Amino acid sequence: MDTRGRVIIQVNDLHHTYLSGTPLEVKALKGVTMEVYEGEIVGIIGRTGAGKSTIVQHFNGLIRNRERGRVVVDGHDMADPSLDVRTIRQKVGLVFQHPEQQLFERLVGDDIAFGPKKMGLPPEVRRERVRWAMEMVGLDFEKFKDRFTFSLSGGEMRKVAIAGVLALQPKVLILDESTTGIDPRGRKELLSRMLNLNREHGVTLVFVSSNMDEVASIADRIYVIDDGRTVMHGTAREIFAQPEVLRRYGLGVPHVTTVAHRLAQDGIPMPRVPLTVAEAEEDIWKILSS
Amino acid sequence: MENFEFLRNVTIGQYFQGDSIIHRLDPRAKITILLILVVVNSFILSFTGNVLLLSWCIALVLLSGISFRFMLSGIKPALPLIVIFALMQLFFYGDAYPPYGMESVTYWRWGIMSITNGSIQLVIVTLMRFLEIFFLVSLLTSTTTTTNIAYAIESMLEPFQRLRVPAQEISLIGTIALRFVPIFAEQMEIIMKAQASRGADFGEGGVFQFVKRTRQMVTLIVPLFVDAFRRAEDLILAMDARCYTGGRGRTKIVRFHMQRVDLLFIAFTAVFGVLIMVFRNHFPI
Ligand SMILES: Nc1ncnc2c1ncn2[C@@H]1O[C@H](COP(=O)(O)OP(=O)(O)OP(=O)(O)O)[C@@H](O)[C@H]1O
Ligand SMILES: [Mg+2]
Repeated sequence: MDTRGRVIIQVNDLHHTYLSGTPLEVKALKGVTMEVYEGEIVGIIGRTGAGKSTIVQHFNGLIRNRERGRVVVDGHDMADPSLDVRTIRQKVGLVFQHPEQQLFERLVGDDIAFGPKKMGLPPEVRRERVRWAMEMVGLDFEKFKDRFTFSLSGGEMRKVAIAGVLALQPKVLILDESTTGIDPRGRKELLSRMLNLNREHGVTLVFVSSNMDEVASIADRIYVIDDGRTVMHGTAREIFAQPEVLRRYGLGVPHVTTVAHRLAQDGIPMPRVPLTVAEAEEDIWKILSS
Repeated sequence: MENFEFLRNVTIGQYFQGDSIIHRLDPRAKITILLILVVVNSFILSFTGNVLLLSWCIALVLLSGISFRFMLSGIKPALPLIVIFALMQLFFYGDAYPPYGMESVTYWRWGIMSITNGSIQLVIVTLMRFLEIFFLVSLLTSTTTTTNIAYAIESMLEPFQRLRVPAQEISLIGTIALRFVPIFAEQMEIIMKAQASRGADFGEGGVFQFVKRTRQMVTLIVPLFVDAFRRAEDLILAMDARCYTGGRGRTKIVRFHMQRVDLLFIAFTAVFGVLIMVFRNHFPI
């Protein structure tokens, strides 16, 4: 949240209808407005079916908007038919909500190398990329590169899926519910690895999640989506200071924040809305010692 | 511009809820009607006969309330193939079929290729026959749930069970196959999106650039098959887990009884079919 860079993704009043003109038509987006600045971590939250996955698929051109609204990624209008979306997809890496849907090669190593190969990199560079990507997500290169993708556990599949996208070395990494299905410690580890990716390698993160504790601990700014529209946005602290509004959109607040709200009800206001256990601990010490 | 919405083009195997008269027909009646019309379809080579039959099919579609445009969109993926077949018929079948109800006329000839009024008629009639079958099958699957189709096939095969025809199994295989068509379309969309998001290119290559498109398809088909096998295994497991033991001795919660409408529909279709068959050699063209 330090100095804001330039806008890398800009979405204006975006609309999208799946299977338009057929009996199966679904109006998924009805006016989404948001922006992502270079180098920040943006959280997107919203109840099931709100349209989060639909939004992020616009960011790398898997869905091109033909209806109302505008999506500009790294200076390119995504609706422009002459735009070569492959260059965008290399800059904006998307990790799908269901990782098993993202793996299609037989061996883990081949799968992660798919992107670099399509980019036309020479074999040695590809190998280095794969090694780096696997290290970034915490997979042992030697141990995993020759494993069959379909024999992996759900959590390992997620890591391989993320590595496969990281191997493109994107500027923006979009994680769509990428920590569900991993044990608590694995989640924490993955989160800190992603945080490291952001801080050390300057990768912009877009983090879609339904786990409020996670979003609170990692996101600089948050957008709340409901029924295909942007309904709230602000810093994590601003958003989680309004539990009643969030509840209206079917969402909760992080556990530590609940504690703070309860303390405030009992006449012990906290100096700020805590987002992590560490923050809450610090503030409570301050209150106790004063 | 690439578009990954395959489901848009899958009209066969997709059920649409509705309350039209066609929806409410007994599934056995619908299958009987389908069979009658398919038999008629295979005998009619004249323009007039096919116009009548096609009108009949269109009338059924209109009665069902299913969007006509949507149904036609199901043909789009097969269009290149249809065009190729049509061209082959047009150029190479010139002498194979004498035209129905007309004097043979040759418009153009070059080596083994020729265009005659016979081949032109063949192309048009083939297209109409294709449309008739396509409408009938789409109509059946879009107005009847797979469970009901299975029920109908099974109950219609019952008399043959004494001849050791595995009625239940046949109907099961049929319905699973139908059910899997839209699933494959969805899966195809997912795999293409996965590859595209990592740099694969599906954008270029118009509908008629076969080599390019075929090469792209190959990279999709392997994962698609792997997925199909996995799904099949899951299905087996799920059936086992629910103690599915196959046909014999199973009872049904819902039993259908043919109503007057069902019989009326069958009778109408039968009369229509017989009339066309009887007069099929008396149509002017
Ligand atoms: N490929 C598709 N075809 C048709 N409809 C779709 C498709 N994908 C999503 N939808 C519909 O669009 C709406 C928004 O879906 P989306 O997946 O964007 O929601 P989401 O916010 O990601 O939900 P979740 O938290 O469950 O992942 C839903 O009503 C969904 O049924
Ligand atoms: Mg989603």
